[in-house]
Order: sequence, then C-alpha cells, then structure tokens
Amino acid sequence: MLYLSLVLVFILSYSFYFYGKKRALSLKFKKNENLSSLPDYYGYYVVLLVFFPAIIIWFFLLLFKSNFQEMFVMSPVLFPDVATWSSGKFGLIMNKISNLSMIVNLSEIDLTVGDKSILKMASESEIIAAKNLANFDKIYGWSNLTLFIILPVLLGFLATKSISGKLNAQPIVEKIISYVIKGSSYIAIFITFGIFFSLVFEAINFFRYVNFMDFFFNTAWNPNRAFVINASEGFDQEALKEAFGFVPLLTGTLLIASVAMLVAVPLGLLTAIYLAEYASSKVRDIAKPIIEILAGIPTVVYGFFAALSLAPFIKDVGEGVGLPVSAESALAAGLAMGVMIIPFVSSLSDDVIKAVPQSLREGSYAIGATKSETIKKVILPAALAGIMGSFLLAISRAIGETMIVVMAASLRANLTFNPLEPATTITTQIVTSLIGDVEFDNPKTLVAFALGLTLFVMTLILNIAAITIVKKYREKYE
Amino acid sequence: MVDQNSNYALQTSEVYVHYGKKMAINNVALNFPKNEVTSLIGPSGCGKSTFLRCLNRMNDVIDICNVKGKFLLNGNVDIYSPDIQVETLREKVGMVFQKPNPFPKTIYENVAYGPKIHGIASSQNELDEIVKDSLHRAGLYEEVKDRMDDIATGLSGGQQQRLCIARAIAIRPEIILMDEPCSALDPIATAKIEDLINELKENYTIIIVTHSMSQASRVSSKTAFFHLGNLVEYGETGKIFTKPDKEQTNDYITGRFG
Repeated sequence: MLYLSLVLVFILSYSFYFYGKKRALSLKFKKNENLSSLPDYYGYYVVLLVFFPAIIIWFFLLLFKSNFQEMFVMSPVLFPDVATWSSGKFGLIMNKISNLSMIVNLSEIDLTVGDKSILKMASESEIIAAKNLANFDKIYGWSNLTLFIILPVLLGFLATKSISGKLNAQPIVEKIISYVIKGSSYIAIFITFGIFFSLVFEAINFFRYVNFMDFFFNTAWNPNRAFVINASEGFDQEALKEAFGFVPLLTGTLLIASVAMLVAVPLGLLTAIYLAEYASSKVRDIAKPIIEILAGIPTVVYGFFAALSLAPFIKDVGEGVGLPVSAESALAAGLAMGVMIIPFVSSLSDDVIKAVPQSLREGSYAIGATKSETIKKVILPAALAGIMGSFLLAISRAIGETMIVVMAASLRANLTFNPLEPATTITTQIVTSLIGDVEFDNPKTLVAFALGLTLFVMTLILNIAAITIVKKYREKYE
Repeated sequence: MVDQNSNYALQTSEVYVHYGKKMAINNVALNFPKNEVTSLIGPSGCGKSTFLRCLNRMNDVIDICNVKGKFLLNGNVDIYSPDIQVETLREKVGMVFQKPNPFPKTIYENVAYGPKIHGIASSQNELDEIVKDSLHRAGLYEEVKDRMDDIATGLSGGQQQRLCIARAIAIRPEIILMDEPCSALDPIATAKIEDLINELKENYTIIIVTHSMSQASRVSSKTAFFHLGNLVEYGETGKIFTKPDKEQTNDYITGRFG
C-alpha cells in the first residue's frame, strides 16, 4: 500500500503540470494578464509544490511506521510491565507479535472456544496484540493510500489557484531545481566520506589490539597467530605483535602490479600509437571497442584463466629451462592482470595522442621529419603528461584488483621480489580475513579494515596524481 | 610552359588538384622567380592554400587529395617523382603556417629540431651557431637570447611566428612557403614579419598566401590572383594592383567581391 501511494504521488503531481500550465495560458489569453514567467514554469511550479510536500510526508510515514506500530500494539493494557522491559526483550516480543500477525487465519482464531494449541506458542495478550497489529497494518495502509490521493489533489488545486500573472514562477522553480541538483551531488560526496569514515573507525578498533608500528613495519604475516589466547589476559600480546606485518603484503602487491604494468605499458602504449597515428579511421573504429572489451571481461574469468591456463603453462616452461616455478606464481596473476589493464593504457593514451594538435604534426612534417621521428620527438613528448596519467590510473586499478589475485595468487605471505615465487596481496588478505563465520571483535577480522584503509589511501594518492597530471596537460593546449 | 630557365626556383604547369570528386585546382601554371616574393591572393576557398601545399607535398598526408601536374625545382628536379624522398624535398622547401605552431619544447630545441634531423651540424658548437644565426635572421635573437631554455609556447603570438620562421630557415631551405603567416597576429607583429620577409628575400625565394591586399602589395614583387581553382591573372604586383588586365581581378582588389 505504501508503495502504491508513492506511485500515486508521482502520477498526480506530474498531471498537475498540465493543469498549472493551462491555468497560466487562460490567464494570458482570456483575461489578458501579462505573465511574469514563461507558461511552462507555472506548470513546473505546481508540480514542485505538490511533489515535495507529498514526498516528504510519505517518507515520514514510512520512516515512523514501526514507531506507530509499537505505540499501538505495546499498550500497557495488554502488557502491564512493558515500561520495565529492556530494549532487547521489547524487540524480541515485538518481533514475535509481528510474525504472529502474518498468520493468515489469525482473525478467525477465537481464544474463548475450541482449539487452544496456539497458546502453547504465545501468550493470550501476545495473540491479541498480533490481531491488533494486523488490523493496524490494514488501516494504516488504506488511510495512507487515501491520504495520498487527497493530499496531492488538494495541494495541486491550492497551488494552481495561487497562480496569477504577477507570480514570477521561474526563479522559484529554478531555485528548487538547483537545490535538488546540489543535493544529488552532495549525496555522492557524503557516501564517499561515509565509506572512508567507516573504514577509519574500524581501523582504529584494530589498532587498539595491534601497535601501529608493528603493523606497518613488521615483515611477517601470520594472522592465525592472533588466536593464541592467554588464559588470564585474553589475546597474547607477544603473538599479536608477530601476527600482522604489513610489509610482505605490500611487496606482494607491488610485485604483481609491477608484472602487470610490464605487460600493459608497452602493449598499451604501442597499441595507442598504432591506433592514433597509423590505423585508418575504419580500423580504429573497429579495433578500439574490441580492445576496450578486455576491460569489460569479468575479472573472475581472468582469475581462472590465470590459475588454470597461465600458471601451469608458466610452470611447465620454467621447469623446461630448469627454473623452479611455483604453481601459484606472482607472474601468472600479474600477466593476467596486465592483459586486463591494457585498455586503460591504450584507450587513454590514444585519446591524448589524438588530442595533440594537428598543427604540430604538420609543423614537424614541414621541416622534413618522417612520421616516426615526428611521433618520437614531437607527439609523444607533447602527450607525455597524459600518457603518464593513464599509467597511474592503470597502476591504481592493478593495486586494487581483487578477484584475479584471490584466484591465481597465493594466500601465504612471502617477502620476495621474485615473480616465480608465490606472493599474496593486500586485497587477497582482506578477502581471506572476512571469509567464513566472522565476528568483528577480534584483530584477525578487524585487520581487513586497516588493510582496506591503507589500500584506499594508496589508490587515492595515485588517482590524485593521475588527475593532476592529466589536468596540467589539458591546460597546455586549451 | 616549363622551360629549363634556371632563373626560376620553382616551375609548375598543368596542375590539377581534386579532393575526392571535388576539383580544387583547375589547370594552373605558375613559375616562381628566384629570390623574389610572390603573393597568392584570392577569396576564401579559391585554392591558393591548396596550391601552396602542393609545392612541398603537404597534401600527401590528406588521403582524399589527388594532385596531378608538373612541378620542377630549380628547373630539373621533379618533386612528385617517385625517386624523390619527400623529406629531402621539404629540406629544400620550408613552410610557415597560418597559426604559429611551435613545438612544446624549449626555444633552442624548436630551432635545433630540423638541423638535428637532417644532420646539418657536425658538432654541438656548429648547432649552437645555426640556432643563433637562424634566430638572428628571424629577428628574434635579441628578444630570446637570455631564455633559450624556456618553453616556446610561452612566447607571444608574433614571437612564436618568428620562431617558426627561424625553425624553417634553420635547415637552410631554398624556398619558404608562407600560408597567411600574419592572419593570427596584431598589426605590430605583422609589420615585423613583413620587414623580415623583405630581408629574407635576399637569400630565399618566398611564396606567400595572404588575404591582405595591402600586405601583398607591400611585400611581393609578383602577384597571382586565384578564383574558384583557376589562376585568373599573374604579373608584376604593381601592375596587378593598378592596371589589372582582367575585370575579375579589378573587382576583387577594389573590394567589390571576395
């Protein structure tokens, strides 16, 4: 019922657009009044005056529905000692009543006669309360629906009545719309901050257990050591000190991201140069979207490509030439990730190379430079900042990538720079620390937030650097 | 038309240019005397810039542009011959564009760019000397001598255009093509470029496309008037501007159309 009335609010307020506009036009043509605004704005004016009050009241009624229910159901008449209940007990009983109220034939149960088996499950007053609740819901729904027929219509007629030639609807409408637009953008910003602060608060909880310095500078990562419990003082402080060393995760992440960049930078950049400077526009129009598909393949697909095809292949080749290669080498995960981020480099670099003014190319050709000299000595230097920006965006994507490394990289932390050895990443460890039945009261789970925050800050810095560089480049030519 | 007269830096005849199916130049024959300035004038879209760009094969990069005709450099080099490398041609025929287009490099690097590519200087000292000399000839040296390592895009529009002229003469061309070199400049910067053209004609053959008839009369000794892809009239600048043979030319220079 509540959602039906929401639909009503939309339909009714929109239909008043035509009514308001008609009224304005009839003022103009039948009564020869001068309108202060364009006729459309009187329509919008009425719509907004109907929609916003109605929608605010609707939200209010939705939000406080449960409060009204509790006020109605938990009356001291039925439950004399309700005032003394703890909030936990209150919630429990409310829950029970609300479940009871969903029994289809509840209203037919007569407690005075016949089968009293239901009394084994609930007390008499609870059942009466449940009946009340069912009735309340019905009444609440119907009255809500009625309200949202009457209210918009009433508001609509009042607003339309208030229209006169002197009323300047345009600034009012534009002011309201500008608040709506502003509000929408603030929501995105607030959510970003909300995510950030939820990470910060949980990370602070983690650092209550583990020393800040131990986390960032210890070189061993054994989160299971955190479960060594001393009988007297809870967590074993010595074990905690040794459990969470961030360094091998950082090196693992950087190692895999470096392998990825070694793949993506040359392939992506050469692709971009080909697309922007050599390919005919026909080839470019077909090839560019196809390459961009690489970024759209679900990362889990890259994950099993890396784990099932790439890793065994690398292991075979490695053993063929006498190199010890782990089955979960950082190389396999890095290569798959590198393929995934090729389009980040190629697409962005292609755009910035294309953006280098044609006059620079002509200037270089006119001096007798060849095409390759022009690209090497004029185009690429001119586009360098933008190209660097694309690299940084690709790195931040590589560092934040999760699924490929969860599937293809190792779970065991290993402080190494050898891509043939297994390595684990920050994202993998976040996933493993949150897998299974977890409770947020121990450092092994809370560490996910500390890791997430660190990752967030790392990619944030890279993104800011990328954006600054790209912006600087744009200023040069515009 | 084409003879072996070596008093001409460049001789052209039977020139046709098409953009796709659209004709841009229709049977033009024009010779450019050595060490003189020739102006190409005419209303927008008359083909004068297209014709100019044929002379150093800049139209090669435009796929749909099709150039036919005879072009002889110094009376004996066919510039559209398959034996001619376009880079070598452009070493001899330099170009200055409508909008100043310095590279986003230092002032020094802008001028040194051509000599480095063509291997003109045998040593760093010689290269320095070429850069200095070119800037000097372009009348820019005094203004930039203390900031050779600044990025060239920071110069004013007029300075940028003189830098582009310095960049063009640094590879010691024989001919300099100028495509409306002053149209993006203010009157003072324009006057400087015109003075420069007067000095440069001592050593170079200059072909200049211009929209300003007063500029054509100030800087050039020969003038060619183009209209709708045809060469309407060619002759001494003084004659074209005072007693043109064709009525069309007269209408244009007196401002009755175009």
